[in-house]
Amino acid sequence: MSDRFRRGAYYTLLWSVSLLFFTPVAWIIMSSFKTREEILATPPTLIFTPTLDNYIELFTQNQNFLQQLGNSVVMSLSAVVIAVLVSFLAAFCFSRFKPKGTNFLMFILLSIRMLPGPAVILPVFLMFANFGWKDQHIPLVLFYAMFSIPFSVWILKGFLDGVSVRFDETGLANGGSWFHVIFKVVLPQVKPGLIAAFIFNLIFVWNEFLFNFVIGGVQTQNIPYALAVGTYSDGGLNWTFIAALTSIYILPPVAFIYLFQKYLLAGMTFGTVRGEV
Amino acid sequence: MAQPSSLLNDRRTLVFVLLAPVLAFFIVFNTIPTLWLLGLSFYNYSLTSGMPPEFVGFTNFVNIFFNRNGIWSDLSRTFIFVACAVSLQTLLGLMLGFLFWGSRNMPGRRIALTLLFTPMVLTPVATGTFWRFIYDPTFGALNALMGLFGATEPINFLGDPTFAYWAVLAVDCWMWTPFMTLMTLAALGSVPKAELEAAEVDRLTWFEQLRLIVWHHGKFILMLGMLLRTIDSFKTLDLIIPMTNGGPGQQTRLVAVELNKQAFQSFNMGWSSAYAVLLLLISIAMTSVFIHVLNLRRRRERS
Amino acid sequence: MTKYTTRPSGLMMPRRQVLKGIGAMTAAAAMSMPVTNRAFGQEAHPLAGRTIDMNILGIAGWLPSSLSVAMTPLFNDYVRDRYGYEVEFAFAEAPFSDLFQRAATSLATRSQEFNIIISDSQWIGALAEPGWILQLNDVIAANPGLDIDWYSQTVIDTYMAYPDGTENIWGLPQEGDTIALFIRKDMLHDEAEKAAFQEKYGMPLPQTFEDFEDLTMTDFEKVADHFNRPDEEMWGTAMQYSRVYDFVTCYLYPFMFSQGGDIWDASTGQVEGILNSDINAMAMTQMKDWLKYQPPGATNFGIAEQIDVFTTGKVFSCFQWAAVGLAMITEEMKANDQVMVVAPPKHGTGDAADRIYTMGGQPWVINAFNDEEKMRVAIDFMNWWYLPETALEFARRGGNPADRPTLTADGFDDINPWNRAYKYMLEPGRSRDFWHHPKYAEMLAVQQEAFTSYMTGQTADPMQALNYAACNQQQILFDAGSAAQSPSRSCITATL
Repeated sequence: MSDRFRRGAYYTLLWSVSLLFFTPVAWIIMSSFKTREEILATPPTLIFTPTLDNYIELFTQNQNFLQQLGNSVVMSLSAVVIAVLVSFLAAFCFSRFKPKGTNFLMFILLSIRMLPGPAVILPVFLMFANFGWKDQHIPLVLFYAMFSIPFSVWILKGFLDGVSVRFDETGLANGGSWFHVIFKVVLPQVKPGLIAAFIFNLIFVWNEFLFNFVIGGVQTQNIPYALAVGTYSDGGLNWTFIAALTSIYILPPVAFIYLFQKYLLAGMTFGTVRGEV
Repeated sequence: MAQPSSLLNDRRTLVFVLLAPVLAFFIVFNTIPTLWLLGLSFYNYSLTSGMPPEFVGFTNFVNIFFNRNGIWSDLSRTFIFVACAVSLQTLLGLMLGFLFWGSRNMPGRRIALTLLFTPMVLTPVATGTFWRFIYDPTFGALNALMGLFGATEPINFLGDPTFAYWAVLAVDCWMWTPFMTLMTLAALGSVPKAELEAAEVDRLTWFEQLRLIVWHHGKFILMLGMLLRTIDSFKTLDLIIPMTNGGPGQQTRLVAVELNKQAFQSFNMGWSSAYAVLLLLISIAMTSVFIHVLNLRRRRERS
Repeated sequence: MTKYTTRPSGLMMPRRQVLKGIGAMTAAAAMSMPVTNRAFGQEAHPLAGRTIDMNILGIAGWLPSSLSVAMTPLFNDYVRDRYGYEVEFAFAEAPFSDLFQRAATSLATRSQEFNIIISDSQWIGALAEPGWILQLNDVIAANPGLDIDWYSQTVIDTYMAYPDGTENIWGLPQEGDTIALFIRKDMLHDEAEKAAFQEKYGMPLPQTFEDFEDLTMTDFEKVADHFNRPDEEMWGTAMQYSRVYDFVTCYLYPFMFSQGGDIWDASTGQVEGILNSDINAMAMTQMKDWLKYQPPGATNFGIAEQIDVFTTGKVFSCFQWAAVGLAMITEEMKANDQVMVVAPPKHGTGDAADRIYTMGGQPWVINAFNDEEKMRVAIDFMNWWYLPETALEFARRGGNPADRPTLTADGFDDINPWNRAYKYMLEPGRSRDFWHHPKYAEMLAVQQEAFTSYMTGQTADPMQALNYAACNQQQILFDAGSAAQSPSRSCITATL
């Protein structure tokens, strides 16, 4: 009995911690079902009649909403897919052939992640300006991919180090090409790493604002851009808009975290464990 | 690694083919811009002056050194921010990680963890704006909550110089403690169960288990988590802009905020480049320390 | 990006006012617009039969910007009828603090991403100096419709000329704007309040526009104090103290300007010794003292936060830009006739009392890299914008034109509740703008830090904050080659 009680208390504690961290998010989601007057009520109200008006307005009033959402989805997916693929090849090379300067390259790759955003984007902006790449999807996607590569290489290298070379050798000995070995034999074994790299970089690109604002433009605007621009409306803070848009926008990453949680955890072991964590 | 000799030729092309895409990315989006940055740091170049860039040698660096625009205070503010953020998040993350470690059979564990991880996937633009609202002394939920517990005077968290910095730090911790929890869980997951069971048999104390087994296996991942957090908190920008924009006064002006202002509000491209080069050097130094520590462990293992 | 999610209530409001005021005239003008044009018949135009895409960059969440956007269909009708071409408009927006960044990053690439831009007045120099925007002197000479009798020299100084005092024209006023005082009329006219005020301060509670014309800040402080009831969640007034963009600056300047303070010598680029004067230090102390009549979050107040507290009935009065009048007066407040808008009080005492407030508002500027077609449309657009009927329609919808014929038309004062105050503040000498220098953003950022540092109590001595701002601005201007003097030796120790 006391054991059950202790367990109950333990679980209650865990749940309270999770809920505590979730409260501010819950507050945003709750606000998205309130009217502006209810959001600004003092003291803040917990009991109210939920309304869907904010969502309806979001979809009907804002003509660019679908374009922005489309940009967000297309750009983050394509950037991350490219990044993970490219990183996988590089990580395979680093892991198997250890070319000269592997460590140096791995370190230098990380350097682009070290700089504050404005420092990264300053020369890139001047470059984009000179090459006429500003406000174009492909250069922006490639830039996002570049930004997602270092972390992916690091994760995947860890996982590939854990995949025995025997697999390569057997595959080759059986007459398979390197292509076959890399994509058919090795790739499936590092699935957790691929998924973890995918999710982490997706979250980054999904929420990215500064680069989009500086080197993007009218054509490439994404939802964080819309959030920043739509914060103010008619002079006032547009709380209903922010709340509704944030609540919608958070759904995909949360769904990813829920569905791929075990891969996420395994991925962050950087390949030291390959089973479930 | 022993490779069949017949593959040697093949191997060189293969290495090239495998690395080519990453190198292409790297050269176009990293090397060229970095060289550009480096070159520009020796120029006086303002995008809005209408004047062509003017070579000024080390003037920008000298000015930075002599504290033009108060950058030393920004740096010290940032270092304190990084130190506090990383240590707090690591500590809290460790606590929560250990808490959740033993909860494999908890009903709804997956949902609970998803809720816990949510803050870090929230769009920072919206996070900052909404926290400003939560902190607001007139409309904010936090002051209302404190009122319920008997606080008489509302606190202007983001407008009061004594609180603003810490209020921003608190939000950063809220956002990123879940990440350190995740890293802790991953670190703990990497501890082989067999070794723990063996330790149980050997009647090692709880503390000895922690020190000898858990720490040994988990420290690599934990250090990596801290490394990533150090890099990222050094760059904190998108939270601060909507919350305080560096204010009140200069209270929350971290390096990234100042750089953003110099580069993309004042458009002082030369000066900002010099500043960015300096920040790059600092980040490389910080990262090297971490990498060094990480490698020590590997080297020790190998020997 | 289009996002004119204008609250329908806001847009309805002026229309109803109009019916009361100058109904006949406005209705006639509005209806006649397409009709008369058709009567002219089409004129030969190089773009006839074509469809041109135009992009306008405006200020996000800024009513006058979205009003202009909402009016573009009228322009489409106009050119279709008159010139026989079509325009497809697209709109992009950025908030005040980011709009220059948005425009500059685009214009620096010589891009046509934005063909027409709603700029803030202080950016004219930064846009003109690199040659990003079109100088308009020749355009005005060739288009008599753009040679307009502006309401006062202030309009030209603020929105059009750069460098200051020259006749080089770079912008045309899109929205004129001044600071006005929004007041809860229902509370002000309450008999019990009047009696209580008389009892307590020995003077009558000011009631009319004229009463406020003569009011000084000293007397207004009594009014604010009278209605300041924190226990009832009601405060006396609201000003802006925010670090964001130019918010605290615009609200501190009236304290300085009105009492004889200045911010720089535009001809020599001298800041030191002018900005850090005793008068300005006193002005800072005064503005900080006003915090006691404002809600606890006032040190974070910008335009939006002020609207939030005023529309939720938490403040009795609010110093606010006339341009956001539509958002300040909700449908409910309007229905109950709860708000009046007056000129903000004078500073100082006796005969020396004066009011010089900060100018707001934005000019249109035209991308210099527009190709011939876009340029043609942009100029047609300007010609249309300043047609008397367009200006009137803009006013009807809640905008503030700045030309004399519209502002002096019969009934203009009654179109919107704030029109009278706006016009009053636009009279010569009552409002002024500040620097149009290309280094505007940099000078502003330093100053915003210094001012907010003092207002929030981080820096205790106002003179210390002023010294910091003055020294840094002197250095910025000296580096840019605009100031003859380098910062003085004492600047080495200037910190916040």
